[in-house]
Amino acid sequence: MSTRQLAPTCVFAATALFFFFFFLWPLGETLRGAFVGADGRLTFSYLFEVFRNRIYLEGLSNAFWLAVWSTALALLLALPLAFISDRFLFPGKGVLSALLLVPMILPPFVGAIGLKAVLGHSGALNTLLLEIGALDSPVDWLGQGRFWGIVALNALHLYPILYLNATAALANVDPAMEEAAENLGCSGLRKFFRITLPLIMPGLFAGGTIVFIWAFTELGVPLMFDFTRVTSVQIFNGIKDIGGNPFPFALVVVMLASTVLLYACGKFLFGRSGHAMMAKATGARGVRTLGWRGGAACTLAFVAVIGLAILPHLGVIAAAFSRDWYGTILPAELTLENFRVALGHDLTLPSIQNSLKYAGLATGVDVVLGVAIAYVVVRTRLPGREVLDALAMLPLAVPGLVLAFGYLAMTQEGKLFQSLNPVTHSPLVILVIAYSVRRLPYVVRSAAAGFQQTSVTLEEAAQGLGCPPFRTLRKITLPLIAANLLAGGLLAFSFAMLEVSDSLILAQKQQDFPITKAIYELYQLLGDGRLIAAALGVWAMLFLAVTILGASLLLGKKLGALFRV
Amino acid sequence: MISIRIERLTKRFGGQVALDGVSFTIEPGEIFFLLGPSGCGKTTLLRSIAGFCVPDDGRVYFGDEDVTFLPPHRRNTGMMFQSYALWPHLTVAKNVAFGLEERRVPRGDVLLRVAEALESVKMGAYAERKIAQLSGGQQQRVALARALVVRPRALLLDEPLSNLDAKLRLEMRAEIRRVCKESGLTAVYVTHDQKEALSISDRMAVLENGKIAQIGRPTEVYRFPQSKAVADFIGETNFLSGRVVAGTGEGTLVETPVGIFRGFASEPDWSPVSGETVTLSIRPECWTLGKVHSTGEASGQPNLCAGHVASTVYLGEVAQHHFVSGGADLKVFEMNPQASSHPPDREQCLTVDSRDVVILRR
Repeated sequence: MSTRQLAPTCVFAATALFFFFFFLWPLGETLRGAFVGADGRLTFSYLFEVFRNRIYLEGLSNAFWLAVWSTALALLLALPLAFISDRFLFPGKGVLSALLLVPMILPPFVGAIGLKAVLGHSGALNTLLLEIGALDSPVDWLGQGRFWGIVALNALHLYPILYLNATAALANVDPAMEEAAENLGCSGLRKFFRITLPLIMPGLFAGGTIVFIWAFTELGVPLMFDFTRVTSVQIFNGIKDIGGNPFPFALVVVMLASTVLLYACGKFLFGRSGHAMMAKATGARGVRTLGWRGGAACTLAFVAVIGLAILPHLGVIAAAFSRDWYGTILPAELTLENFRVALGHDLTLPSIQNSLKYAGLATGVDVVLGVAIAYVVVRTRLPGREVLDALAMLPLAVPGLVLAFGYLAMTQEGKLFQSLNPVTHSPLVILVIAYSVRRLPYVVRSAAAGFQQTSVTLEEAAQGLGCPPFRTLRKITLPLIAANLLAGGLLAFSFAMLEVSDSLILAQKQQDFPITKAIYELYQLLGDGRLIAAALGVWAMLFLAVTILGASLLLGKKLGALFRV
Repeated sequence: MISIRIERLTKRFGGQVALDGVSFTIEPGEIFFLLGPSGCGKTTLLRSIAGFCVPDDGRVYFGDEDVTFLPPHRRNTGMMFQSYALWPHLTVAKNVAFGLEERRVPRGDVLLRVAEALESVKMGAYAERKIAQLSGGQQQRVALARALVVRPRALLLDEPLSNLDAKLRLEMRAEIRRVCKESGLTAVYVTHDQKEALSISDRMAVLENGKIAQIGRPTEVYRFPQSKAVADFIGETNFLSGRVVAGTGEGTLVETPVGIFRGFASEPDWSPVSGETVTLSIRPECWTLGKVHSTGEASGQPNLCAGHVASTVYLGEVAQHHFVSGGADLKVFEMNPQASSHPPDREQCLTVDSRDVVILRR
């Protein structure tokens, strides 16, 4: 090996090792728990038992249908909006299409508090309808099993992913493709279903897969709705006796297998052709300016979806400011008391400190790893770099719940990483690793984009003037991609601050709780618990809003690219 | 077979005028070319005929039918796009069958006509291929088959050969002309490649700044350009500015810095008058390069100028000389060049036939 390749190879090896130990290993430990019996032999009995147990089966079926309906609803919201924004110009388009992405970053877990305040049995909507006489007795909007409440929250949280994928896919369709159809006598909706939809299918599927898996394994929302008959919550509850109970392992494996299967199906159906456009689009499509009537309709559609999507969070804010909100349309009395209590509670300040610590460290790890991986992938020709690239994007596809469970499994007593066990030791290291692995794709993506946009010749010029490679990286390349890194880092940081599955599962002692687990615990308190939880939620959202605003100012229009899969 | 009539067609994009009151008629069965530099409005004109572009003013007729506001999917034209616009999610056969299915042709007939159409462009063996598995030339054939299989009223082609290599381009040119003539189609063809236009068009329109600069058969447009822009855009030429000295007898005499030339004005309804400043256009291949036989021969006699060859580019079948005469630079093409070189110190003279000297407005 030449010395020129030494440094990249070391970077490659280090990142690969990190992935091996903290991504593949926990998955392996989970598999072992599911397939290796107490006697150390391979067994399929746990897995069969899962499929014989009616409660587990019901949980799986619920998780499946939650995911199906959440994805369908998200698609129903996203596709028309994406189409409108691809074809038409209407008042407020710029602001509205940016605002449309906001729900994605608002934690649905917190939103659940607000949604229950609005739609609950004695919530705002029922009270309003009773007052105006539209109802005789309160309706349980969220349904007996809270099923549709979870679907609604998932869909309203996840539609931006589909929207971004759909707009990107639509923008890639050569306008001549549709013109050719019109020329041959096909127009309107028929044209959409015969030509446009099949062409954007791969993009839609990529987004749809993410949404489906997200909803399939969502833990926070069902937990807040007390919906226990779903696999994710069953796994969560099974953690308490993880030592002796193999069924959580088996459930996690079923979940992982389903997601892998889904990916494989998608690759089989859409991956092969990819429908990459043969020739570049020859002319930009004319974006039509609508008359005031059509324009107003489009604006209204956007406003309606955005309003619907932030409704739960408005509910959270209202709940946070209310002394008591029960059986009234709006909170009876406004107060700042909850914020004071929230900050004063002995769960709160330590949890904020903890979250800052965990998320900060995780972001640091992400930026270092992200730059290293992006560098190897974009700038070197090392064999196997594509594998590293794919590996770095994999955490997007593997459910957070599965990974969190894997971490717990690999730190059990007698295992290789038992010194990292979050119960007997501080969960700091394992939480930082968990946070950073899950958010790594965002940082890798943004760093890689930075490297790609920065011409190699800029680096070569510096090296030609006598600057060694590492100093070139520090003096030339890093300053040039700083904006990308900062944006990717900010995203990683804010997502880590409000991470749910890892936090709920891995932080088990009160002094180690991050914000999300503190909100969950506060919410469980009797009396004013939910209002105080709401207040802490508002703090969290405020914080998120500031970081995202910062990121979007830095990145401008490129912000959306980070969520594209 | 239909005629296509364009009447005072005008289209603006923002403040930009793409088409400025264009009128002309394409005869039934004619292969008609729209030619011009990029941005001249030729594509807008074609898209107005296809229906993708609704003009601000003016009319488009297919035969006697006013189609100005008819949406594209009801015009029954066949269009070939520059990018081919073949749908990657459908096979070759499905791409070709698409238009027939839209016309609700019975299933059996669809299969038959698709097979026929693919056979006619020699793509019969590729029916079940995906578009991504075809080369550029094959895609181009499929696009042609897809446009023709619906038996359109007119074939519209938007730079269909610009993505092919030179050799394929020659082949496909002939192919397109053959197919059009065999099925008696009226065809409108947009290109910026003058060779394409000269070789297969029946008539062509040269557009400039949204207006028609000239319409005519290829020989007319090439030999008798009616404006400097047309002479410059189609083929290469030498411009010489001069002053009309007499308009007597055969042609008009024009005095230029390199000599006196007798020529003809090609713009109808314009005859230059004595004393008027005009421009001469003389194609490089019209000159004949020869020795100077006697001193004084060069002076006074029309259509002759003396000078020397400053440099030569030898291309085998032709030599391109850079000829300097009285301070003017002239391009001279010598077909089947004999001499290996023309030393710059040897005085030579150029002669030209009066019918090859075109007089244009200044």
